[in-house]
Amino acid sequence: MTALVRAEWTKLLTTRVWIGLVLGACLMAGGFAALFTGLAGAEQNGGQPGLPAVGTPQYEEIVFSVAANASVFLLILGIIGMTQEYRHRTATPTFLTTPRRGRVVAAKLLAYAAAAVPVALLVLAVDVVVVLLYAGARGAAPSLDGDNLRTLGAAGLVLVVFAVIGVGIGALLRNQVGAIVGSLVYLYVVEPIISSIGAIQGAYKWLPGGAVQAITSDFQAPELLAPWQGVVLLLGYGLVAALLGSLLAVRRDVV
Amino acid sequence: MPSGTTAGPRPVRIEVSGLTKTFGTVRAVSDLGFTVEPGSVTGFLGPNGAGKTTTLRMVLGLITPDTGTATFDGVPYGALREPVRTVGAVLETAFHPARSGRDHLRVYCRAAGIPVARADEVLERVGLATAGRRRAGGYSLGMRQRLALATALLGDPPVLVLDEPANGLDPEGILWLRGFLRHLAHDEGRTVLVSSHLLAEMEQTADRVVIVGAGRLVRQGSIAELRSGAQGAGTVLVRSPEADRLVAVLATAGLAATRSEDGLVTVEGATPALVGARAFAAQVELHELRAESTGLEDLYFRLTAGQEQFAAGSPAGPAQYTTQGAAR
Repeated sequence: MTALVRAEWTKLLTTRVWIGLVLGACLMAGGFAALFTGLAGAEQNGGQPGLPAVGTPQYEEIVFSVAANASVFLLILGIIGMTQEYRHRTATPTFLTTPRRGRVVAAKLLAYAAAAVPVALLVLAVDVVVVLLYAGARGAAPSLDGDNLRTLGAAGLVLVVFAVIGVGIGALLRNQVGAIVGSLVYLYVVEPIISSIGAIQGAYKWLPGGAVQAITSDFQAPELLAPWQGVVLLLGYGLVAALLGSLLAVRRDVV
Repeated sequence: MPSGTTAGPRPVRIEVSGLTKTFGTVRAVSDLGFTVEPGSVTGFLGPNGAGKTTTLRMVLGLITPDTGTATFDGVPYGALREPVRTVGAVLETAFHPARSGRDHLRVYCRAAGIPVARADEVLERVGLATAGRRRAGGYSLGMRQRLALATALLGDPPVLVLDEPANGLDPEGILWLRGFLRHLAHDEGRTVLVSSHLLAEMEQTADRVVIVGAGRLVRQGSIAELRSGAQGAGTVLVRSPEADRLVAVLATAGLAATRSEDGLVTVEGATPALVGARAFAAQVELHELRAESTGLEDLYFRLTAGQEQFAAGSPAGPAQYTTQGAAR
């Protein structure tokens, strides 16, 4: 299994896809951190602050949680990691080398979970640096203590789990463009609709997006699970995607 | 000829028995069985759509057959302990275009637990040493075939399975491949199974052929056996200023000859020697005498005639139906 995981890392690092996705993730985390810090405490039309002011615990929770938004890039990294085998037809030599295909999918899940750790740390570092500098300039740099560290840890966990979910989705759908477009539509169209329509809002807390918000920041969210329940739910989604993906990869013909 | 002095890999025999696969309503392969012996090149011959690729993918465990088995010395591919060190396969030119040929090989070295230095050895062996560090996306078709072959050789396997490896090779590359495969089989004692839809190519490469049509076994045996079965008789083209008299002379000898407008006479089921002898005996002047096809070619066409459309029925099927419907 170690050999297969190393083979997956070689695959990942011998093309340049990962560079673009890591840069995208850093830009997104840093950008949101800057945006939310810039708008912190600004008054909306009604005179109420749209976002909590710099220096409040609520502000700090939001601004460290935004690192989790970059999870979409790790999701795509995982999707590409799996679907490139089908897109470029390298599934054939891959499954010839390892006829027990479940081991290939398992190795990919492990390889991408492990590769996502340094990426997540980098994304968190960008978020923290932007926040410390910008909020510091606005008068109150947050301290990296208990609550804030927990928020950062939660965001990092979300980033890693999404890479695993991506591999699972890729194994399920096989079509790269379809898997990526489908995931984006789900994350940015379907989930927001569900979370904003009163009648079906109750379902949102059971969705991946709801789990992410339960873990990181419940700002402006409908009813959510407890943070630990969110962790379990999100890991459950990763596990289900991985299991289904493995089962299908084993059963389907490679033509 | 097997050299007998093989210090090479252990001999491994491929046995295929009762393979059947249906895709939807199309029966791609039907109760197909044959064996492939070590130390020889076996040609897997059939028209496009005869089920060759499907069969090879079933042999390699990529497609699950409905029924039947394919084994390497009794072990199915999926149960081989070291698949890469037992069987090398060239199925299609499948590379990530952004990855270099060398990196492509190193990925599979890692996965199979082979030292990565082996990548450079096989690149050298297939003549790709200088192109190894370039992106595979920029390779010519011939270079891709060579890289696919290099991938198959990574584990130094006693068995090689190749699906249409000559596709995209230039004449020089085809000559090289022919020599390479014969060397691997005859001098190194490996088992080589190579598919093709071109009989002429297989006549020059293979010792034995397995002919399939419409997913069924049509004939298997050595090239020599098939040739003698076909008695060397094929289609002969003759040109003569006395074409009508030639047709009559050949008719009395029991040969079916037809003449076209420009004096060209086509003789079925004959050899140039036979036609020449008859013409000489009757003192008919000839200006040209040549074989249009050999007996083996005729046999191949006859054996697989009409089966191409049938086998390719999945896309063509509905179209045929519509045509029939329109004709009614």
